[in-house]
Amino acid sequence: MKKYVFYPGCVMPTEQYAYELSIREIMPILDIELIDVKDFSCCGEPMKSVNQLMTIYLSARNISIAEKEGYDIFVPCPMCHLSLSECQNILENNHEINKKINEMLSSENLCYNKPINIVNTVDLIHDIVGLDKIKKLVKNPLNKLKAATHYGCHLIRPSEIGRPVDSENPQKMENIIKAIGAEPHDYSEKLDCCGAMINTNLPESALTKTGQKLVAVQNYGFDVFVDVCPWCHRMFDSKQKKAGETVAAKLDMPVVYLTQLLGLSFGIDRNKLGLNLNLSPVDKIKFGGK
Amino acid sequence: MSIIDLTSMGEPQKDIKNQINNRLKKLQDEVSEFCYQCAKCTSGCEAHKLLELEPHKIVALLKRGLIDEMLNSDVIWTCMSCFKCRERCPQKVAPVEILFALKNIAVASGKPIPGKYSAMLQSILSNGLIQDVQTISDRNNQAIKRDKLNLPDLSKPVDTNKFQLVLSKLAIEKI
Ligand code: SF4
Ligand code: SF4
Repeated sequence: MKKYVFYPGCVMPTEQYAYELSIREIMPILDIELIDVKDFSCCGEPMKSVNQLMTIYLSARNISIAEKEGYDIFVPCPMCHLSLSECQNILENNHEINKKINEMLSSENLCYNKPINIVNTVDLIHDIVGLDKIKKLVKNPLNKLKAATHYGCHLIRPSEIGRPVDSENPQKMENIIKAIGAEPHDYSEKLDCCGAMINTNLPESALTKTGQKLVAVQNYGFDVFVDVCPWCHRMFDSKQKKAGETVAAKLDMPVVYLTQLLGLSFGIDRNKLGLNLNLSPVDKIKFGGK
Repeated sequence: MSIIDLTSMGEPQKDIKNQINNRLKKLQDEVSEFCYQCAKCTSGCEAHKLLELEPHKIVALLKRGLIDEMLNSDVIWTCMSCFKCRERCPQKVAPVEILFALKNIAVASGKPIPGKYSAMLQSILSNGLIQDVQTISDRNNQAIKRDKLNLPDLSKPVDTNKFQLVLSKLAIEKI
């Protein structure tokens, strides 16, 4: 059993419950033990437009809290994952900021000492658990299910600070999806952004981005759209109806978290995976061919 | 503590103005110098496809010192933080980081913060997270809250006083 400190962030534990439920369901099956810790805060990334030093401080305090536990940290949200990774990069390479941040951390009785491994859902499942193990756990192979993936911008870029997947041709989600029997296919819009970051100030434009991508995916004839980011999922699933209205299209696309799809293939009860919480038409997802 | 304390910059705070100028000068000297206006950043820009953002022009304006024009324009707030420009720039210029800096400077110089940023900031100040636990609806329109789902307690700052104190200090040393 490998142990990780579980860093939930903001959006997942306050709203995107399906992601958290499905993670907590499948991780023990994958022999991963998650350690819940008190005192975490926002990763800071949503504040990067307002005050970048606040972003670095908030990320640094979360890393310091995890570091005290003595385990690596599992960060399911790509935005948090980028924020923590970039912060660690800055603290390792910029002595001045490191000193300043540590001075501030000391007033919360915290200290950043050394880098820790920061893992996301995709690399945890693909690289650490491994595809062989996944294949052995499958009880309901999702045969012939045509799946489109969406990684989320923050998971794939910028590669210079180290991201868990390739920046121009990410394939790890595809490999995982193949391992559970489904059929992933690449498509031209695969790397397009969901628009979530401007949902804060330009919701109409954000929904247009979401809608445009879903229209493309739907027109290609995909059966399911798979994501791993609570911000993206909020756009593609929770706001799918609004996105459709914004681009004047009838959207009817099942959107699931990768962890939900894995759970389904492992034969876990739908409600335990939070599938009742998806607002997109996930009941359309069929097992073992059509 | 209010948002104003955290984000606006009173006239007498010369230090901060100097810091802003230094940061801008650094951007101008060290970053925009390398840009040769190939516009690769704009060709893949997610915001350009939909709005009017042209990251290569942001770099050009910075090089020419037309900072105020940018600080006063809504266009800097249309970036979707997709990081494609940072990934793909052959000269490692990262227009997205220039945009973050410009937005920070706009906020620090007291320009209005658009959209829900203020609400998120206020929420971080009060409970450490950008929002509190939300009641959501499931597909059958049933209201669902975190505590009905058998999930552990939300992780958030334990000593809120200490946490708030540090964040308020950050307001002064923001650059
Ligand atoms: S891609 Fe880089 S070098 Fe080319 S215009 Fe954009 S910032 Fe300048
Ligand atoms: S990060 Fe912003 S400026 Fe850069 S390509 Fe994406 S939307 Fe355009």
